Amino acid sequence: MAHMIQQWADWISSTALSQWFQSEEWVVPTSQSIHLLGLSVVFGCAVLINLRLLGIGAASGRSVSRLLDSLLPWIYRALVVLLLTGAVQTIAEPMRQFGAPAFWLKMLMIPVVLSLTAGLAGAVRRNCARWDSSATRPAGAKVVALVSLGLWVGIIFCGRFIGYSHG
Amino acid sequence: MSLEELLDSIQRSSLAAAVRGDSGWEWLFPNIETCHVLALALVFGSILMVDLRLLGITSRDSPVSKLSAECLPYTWVAFICAVISGTVLFTSRAHTYFYNLQFELKFAFMALAGLNMAVFHFGAYRQVLAWDTRLPPPPAARLAGALSIALWIAVIFCGRWIGFKT
Repeated sequence: MAHMIQQWADWISSTALSQWFQSEEWVVPTSQSIHLLGLSVVFGCAVLINLRLLGIGAASGRSVSRLLDSLLPWIYRALVVLLLTGAVQTIAEPMRQFGAPAFWLKMLMIPVVLSLTAGLAGAVRRNCARWDSSATRPAGAKVVALVSLGLWVGIIFCGRFIGYSHG
Repeated sequence: MSLEELLDSIQRSSLAAAVRGDSGWEWLFPNIETCHVLALALVFGSILMVDLRLLGITSRDSPVSKLSAECLPYTWVAFICAVISGTVLFTSRAHTYFYNLQFELKFAFMALAGLNMAVFHFGAYRQVLAWDTRLPPPPAARLAGALSIALWIAVIFCGRWIGFKT
């Protein structure tokens, strides 16, 4: 397995695109900065939605269903930016990513948190009224919110720690 | 005490030594750095919601005053966290950071972002109730929103670049 990953990384490194990314020293920091902008959008939206579900934050603010309606499309758009900039960094330095346990942990947590988010969005869409009132909201909502927030924080930690995996 | 002496004494403090990893806690710096990333993400994410509303692009059905009241508390709490984590990171190599071009540019852009916010807050925002739901929002509001987005993007780029130049 490790051998296969190494071969795969070597092949990516040998491509013309990877060579070009490696030779231009602005490519990686620029893509990391854009990655930071994208994660800010996702994290900002996720914090607003999940703290709203936890009953923290401006009670006078928008309802859960309106919050999801306006913020969810931005989460998905920012995810495209994150995927593209993440791909640039992986193509530029494949072993830096594949060799880091934090990278694999991050790749594991992303589908989990996205499934939770999509599941939440579906449940709210089916019955807005039930979700908008804290009295009728399913008890599991707070658990989902806490787990989602924990996963997003964990993903950001893992992302930063990829850069420290090789000392 | 001269500036040089001040920077040196910051850098010689036991806090700075611990953050540098001199006491064997080499994971302290990346952990504080990640807290800084979480804080800046919430600063930029929440202020962007208000800025895009000022441009009339998103949340068009929410009045500007209500959206500000909903989002800006997150901005301020996160900003305080970013200042604290950033200050702790700064101590580790106070001298290097202070004379780093990207670090200096970052603070210049933050000062401009603050100035832009103050001009808007004490200017067009004083009559916000008169244009709370008007679309497109008045030119002063759109200008403030656009400048804020551009300046905070510049702050984040400079911040990321500090790590490549120090």
